[in-house]
Amino acid sequence: MKRRDFLKIVGSSAGAVAAAGCGQAPERILPYVIPPDNLIPGVASWYSSVCRECPAGCGVIARNREGRVVKLEGNPDHPVNQGALCIRGQAALQGLYNPDRLRGPMRQDASGALKPVKWEEAEKLLVERLTGLVKQGKGKRIVVMSQLESGNLGRLIESWAQALGARRPIFYEPFNYEAIHHASRLVFGRDAIPHYALEEANVILSFGADFLESWLSPVEHARAFTRMHAFKHGKAGTFIHVEPRLSLTAANADEWVRNAPGTEELLALAILKVILNEGLQAPGVDVALLRNVAMPVDLEAAAGQSGVSVETIKHIARTFAKAKPGIAVGGGVAVTSTVAVETQRAIHLLNYAAGNVGRTVRFGPDSAFVKATPHAIVGLLTQLMAQGEIDVLLLIHANPLFALPPKWGFAEALKKVPLLVSFSNQPDETTEQAHLILPDLHSLESWGDFSPREGVVGLMQPTMAPVFDSRAVGDVLLSVGRQVLGSPAGKGPFRWETFAEYLKEQWRGIAREYASSMLFDQFWEEALRRGGVWKDVATAPVQARSAPVFPIQGKPASVEGDPQGLTLLVYPSQRFYDGRGANKPWLQEAPDTMTQVTWDSWIEVPAEVAKKLGIRQGDLVKVTSPHGAIELPAYVSESLHPGAVAIPIGQGHTAYGRYAKDRGANPLTLLPGGAGLSFLSVKVTLTKTGGRRPLAIAQATHDQDDREIAQHVGLGAARELELRGAVPEKASHPSMYPDLKYPEYRWGMAVDLDACTGCQACVIACKAENNVPVVGKEQVAYGRDMHWLRLERWQEGKPEHPENLFLPMFCQHCEIAPCEPVCPVFAAYHTEEGLNAQIYNRCVGTRYCNNNCPYKVRRFNWWDYSSPASSSYAFPDPLPLQLNPDVTVRQLGVMEKCTMCVQRIVAGKDAARDEKRPVRDGEVQTACQQTCPTQAIAFGNLKDPSSRVAKLSRSPRGYHVLGELGTRPAVTYLKKVTREHGKA
Amino acid sequence: MTDSAGRQPTYADVNRDVIRTLEPPSPAYFGWMAVVALILTAGILAWTWQIYAGMGAAGKRTPQMWAMYITTFVFWIGIGHAGTLISAILYLFRARWRTSIYRGAEAMTVFAVLTAGLFPLIHAGRMWFAYWLLPYPNQRYLWPNFRSPLVWDVFAISTYLTISVVFFCVGLLPDIAAIRDASTGWRKKIYGMLSLGWEGTDRQWRHYRRAYGLFAALATPLVLSVHSVVSWDFAMALVPGWHSTLFAPFFVDGAIFSGFAMVLVLIIPMRHFWNLYAYITDKHLDAMGKLILVTSLVLSYFYLCEAFTAWYSGDHFERASLFWKATKSYAWAFWLQYFCNSLVPLVLFWRRARTHTPTLYVVSILVLIGMWFERFNIIVPGLGHDFYPYTWGIYWPTLTDTMIVIGSFAWFFILFLGFIKVMPSVSIVEVKETLPHPVKEAHH
Repeated sequence: MKRRDFLKIVGSSAGAVAAAGCGQAPERILPYVIPPDNLIPGVASWYSSVCRECPAGCGVIARNREGRVVKLEGNPDHPVNQGALCIRGQAALQGLYNPDRLRGPMRQDASGALKPVKWEEAEKLLVERLTGLVKQGKGKRIVVMSQLESGNLGRLIESWAQALGARRPIFYEPFNYEAIHHASRLVFGRDAIPHYALEEANVILSFGADFLESWLSPVEHARAFTRMHAFKHGKAGTFIHVEPRLSLTAANADEWVRNAPGTEELLALAILKVILNEGLQAPGVDVALLRNVAMPVDLEAAAGQSGVSVETIKHIARTFAKAKPGIAVGGGVAVTSTVAVETQRAIHLLNYAAGNVGRTVRFGPDSAFVKATPHAIVGLLTQLMAQGEIDVLLLIHANPLFALPPKWGFAEALKKVPLLVSFSNQPDETTEQAHLILPDLHSLESWGDFSPREGVVGLMQPTMAPVFDSRAVGDVLLSVGRQVLGSPAGKGPFRWETFAEYLKEQWRGIAREYASSMLFDQFWEEALRRGGVWKDVATAPVQARSAPVFPIQGKPASVEGDPQGLTLLVYPSQRFYDGRGANKPWLQEAPDTMTQVTWDSWIEVPAEVAKKLGIRQGDLVKVTSPHGAIELPAYVSESLHPGAVAIPIGQGHTAYGRYAKDRGANPLTLLPGGAGLSFLSVKVTLTKTGGRRPLAIAQATHDQDDREIAQHVGLGAARELELRGAVPEKASHPSMYPDLKYPEYRWGMAVDLDACTGCQACVIACKAENNVPVVGKEQVAYGRDMHWLRLERWQEGKPEHPENLFLPMFCQHCEIAPCEPVCPVFAAYHTEEGLNAQIYNRCVGTRYCNNNCPYKVRRFNWWDYSSPASSSYAFPDPLPLQLNPDVTVRQLGVMEKCTMCVQRIVAGKDAARDEKRPVRDGEVQTACQQTCPTQAIAFGNLKDPSSRVAKLSRSPRGYHVLGELGTRPAVTYLKKVTREHGKA
Repeated sequence: MTDSAGRQPTYADVNRDVIRTLEPPSPAYFGWMAVVALILTAGILAWTWQIYAGMGAAGKRTPQMWAMYITTFVFWIGIGHAGTLISAILYLFRARWRTSIYRGAEAMTVFAVLTAGLFPLIHAGRMWFAYWLLPYPNQRYLWPNFRSPLVWDVFAISTYLTISVVFFCVGLLPDIAAIRDASTGWRKKIYGMLSLGWEGTDRQWRHYRRAYGLFAALATPLVLSVHSVVSWDFAMALVPGWHSTLFAPFFVDGAIFSGFAMVLVLIIPMRHFWNLYAYITDKHLDAMGKLILVTSLVLSYFYLCEAFTAWYSGDHFERASLFWKATKSYAWAFWLQYFCNSLVPLVLFWRRARTHTPTLYVVSILVLIGMWFERFNIIVPGLGHDFYPYTWGIYWPTLTDTMIVIGSFAWFFILFLGFIKVMPSVSIVEVKETLPHPVKEAHH
């Protein structure tokens, strides 16, 4: 048998496995696009691609076992994410294997119900309609609305639209950061979103930019933030965050400044004024211009309106201006208020005044977000649709019915469109309305490329055969285009048989740009292997345009609605982004770090307001704005600005599959229609409905009760400790037993709490790697979640302005483990590599081990999550395809817990043994460690004194959680370093 | 020993009165049996559901990995203590008043242990593999972990059950023979077989006495050891409020305390319904009342010690745990325990209360409730506020675990009700021993 034949068989049998889930034969394609030199069952192949869960464009590598992808990891070579992935990236697999994913093409029949059709039939339908329009010269009645495609698919869509005479395609992103590039154009004359090099700043001044959650490129920013901020060699940067709400990013700030909603511009200008008044601006800046802008601002008035004292404003200005370089960024609600552009402009000017432009704020490697269509144009399209000007609307992974406020009238306008074609492979709100559904492949099944910023092009290849009967949107566009124009294959504007061919040809251009000397085939293979190409892009010099290009506002954002009401903050969700994550059960079950809420959405109500209205946590509250009303359970917050309420975006789907549907409420329905999309634009009133819907909150309390679980040390003290270099005296607990001997390895971990930002990526990585079941809202609420790794948030100090500590907690693999002696059947035992092992098959289920575990990290299978016959079955088809074949799926009645990814240790040892050497440091990475954007987790052999984990474990900041119990954990935590200066 | 008329029963009276308890039961008896059987059926159904669906059907969660099952397990083990105490220790101390109540108490012991023994099975997540706790040679080369208190439990309880059953059966032998002699037909055959050929010869009596004494001596240490071992399930663990050297004597005392209360709950109705006033007299009740009072006072002392050590240790976790139990979600259970176990028994200082049957009955019931809640307070609130605040939580019972716990009472009572109709629940032999020998006519 030839190698190629063998691969074909393996590929198609994988497809057959997938087909078993749906009963339809998939298109047979060969998943092994780079034929591996040899394919051994049981040995994984890795394929690089790009994560398309948001437009940040992180590189991924997909672990393919026997024809199916079982795990995603960040591509270590990729310049954006450097090996890490965020929580949404880790969960992308559940989009691929989503049980509600569309199985094949569908069309609406006369009764309005969607019925499956054949691909040929579906395509024919579209071709007929398009041909009719094109022939009549009514191409302008066709429009494509796609998610942001910054690569060649976007180019194909554009040329396709051009060839058919259609309107310019719309690249629709709910979060498009258009205020930033509008402001750039106004201030610097360059319509671009610059690259923010956080890592090179000494001070970050953020105006609501949730750069650790969703803003622009969160993984990249988290890594960069840690580089500038985490304590290293006695140094640590400073992070000041201005936001009305204590977001996850705010909780990571050294100084969180709570301002009144919508006063970011005012504050930025006030800070600028202080800089100018005190002469702190960088040399060579256009002082006249800056004075023009900043001087009209009255400091006292700004302080009064924003609720931030003049002292604090001055202190921020000094800290920021003296940083050399610092960086000011704006995002979140601040970029989407009615004064969003003005705010971004003020922030640009701050960067300009402090001399950061060109250093930390770099034009040149501009973000691809600039290609996203402004909301005003989407509004225009809506009008055209409503006027009956559009006959065919093609939607490519865009869900405007969910993401646009109903007041935009998109739903009504859509009714006027005779043919709505959706290429989405998920049954989302807009797709449900479609007359024709031509499901696209998942990005992990597709060819493609994506360029998140200038100088970086990520290349996507199919990492496995399609799970269902879907076709690549590029292929369909080419085929439909050919048929409409009547051009034969091989000629004309759509001469390529497949999108893959088109892509490869386009990449010849990229090859010339990036590696002119290399042969194309070699370049192509290299790019596929690496996951794309990248180069350094020179920073483009920009000059601030002189006044008076723009008028000065200097007043807070205007909000409509009851003046006595509370300003509504609608903010992007770290877990669901703009809502596209909501159909993934992993994301639903991962707690929101700050509130620890799972499975639901909520309205954050300030404690003062809650007290006044008699609202308790979990009480249903009716939220009324001038544009709509929704009902949500209340989450009472001590820290939120008393003049505001906050609701995360992402929940409240009316379709989008079983996990998303009818869960919570969509806050966007409270927002006004109009030309732009402002997340901060209304005031709302709250009324208690009398009903209750308790939230499923994973963490019982954020108060450590003086137990010193998460510890911190002041910056000065940390420096002193570092200088002394003393290994802290570990409390020695006398034991009657001799110390354990570890002949070769003792696996251990070190977690630097100063680096942990609480992003939860590790939680999902662990879930994906270890086949951890999803248990649902009721079970989480009742303390039966199965997370092997949980991310805890502890708070200290004033509840309205707490010090936040994030701590990933998992099995501590104690040397003197309380769980081990109490197990009557040796299911819990100690390996000679220091692992606290759990043998599922031996477990009888007395649960004594978990009683005795001081860390409560053991998880019991209360229900039958593993058998398909059970009503608690956690893996409806085709989710089982994701299960890691190296890890047992645990059965009813047994205890389970973190194994330190023992399957990876075994694989690492096997590889080392083949080469007759010990395992090298860093060779084995646990899933949580691998995905951590800030590299807060280290894993390795504690017996090797030169290993990273051993070095970190000896850190003067190291401690053991509940170490006084004498359990001698193998996990050392490094205390968070807090800044001494006073809180604002 | 006198009846209400102040007349001492004769040997013939004893035979007649005791065997009378075995007469065909009344409809009321069958009515009670039916009620108990119904409850038992519900309990069995609940258990079946739990095995089918998983332990999630019971209200357990993190951190309360143990809850009502272990509470009830310890409760029944405790109940199982009074019987052996009365039959063995009081026998060795020649406390003659025990004779008329020890049979009932011993039966209660055996049935209580049989009930308790179900709970480790009910409680196990994979009860079908519970036999892995037994040390037996097997092809898997597996052996139980002798460091685990649960394995100690297996030995302690199975030993205790074996000894109590044997002791119980030995004591029954002469009485079975007496019933055999009084019965006819197929009953006679069955009792004949069960009496193992007892003839009442001097030789048999001599062997019987010796064996009985030996078994009494053997059972005595078990009274102390079994509950000590059960208490180590807690004391050997790390949980705040559990890890204490106090636990063994504390548990043993509590066990005796609740055991006596249960004996009273059982014999007071027996005496009433079968008119056994001649045998179970106020003197007996008085003596039992005194024992309950003493054990209650000792228990109160242990309660104080427990609170004192939690405070005096200065240990943050212990203090927080105690404070939480006493003031937060489960405070009602905490104070109920103190009320029932420390306050209520104080009325027994009055002699009138000790001989006033309704008072004694109410006190006993409250003591049983209090002792059940004592174990509940150790387990459920104890685990609910352990070392790690992230997972703290409140346990809510479900229909399933409630039905199983109630079903266990039905199981106990069905055994006991059955027993009193087929076996003499007052010892004929030993009661006779306490009576004056029938004077035979002098031969001239």
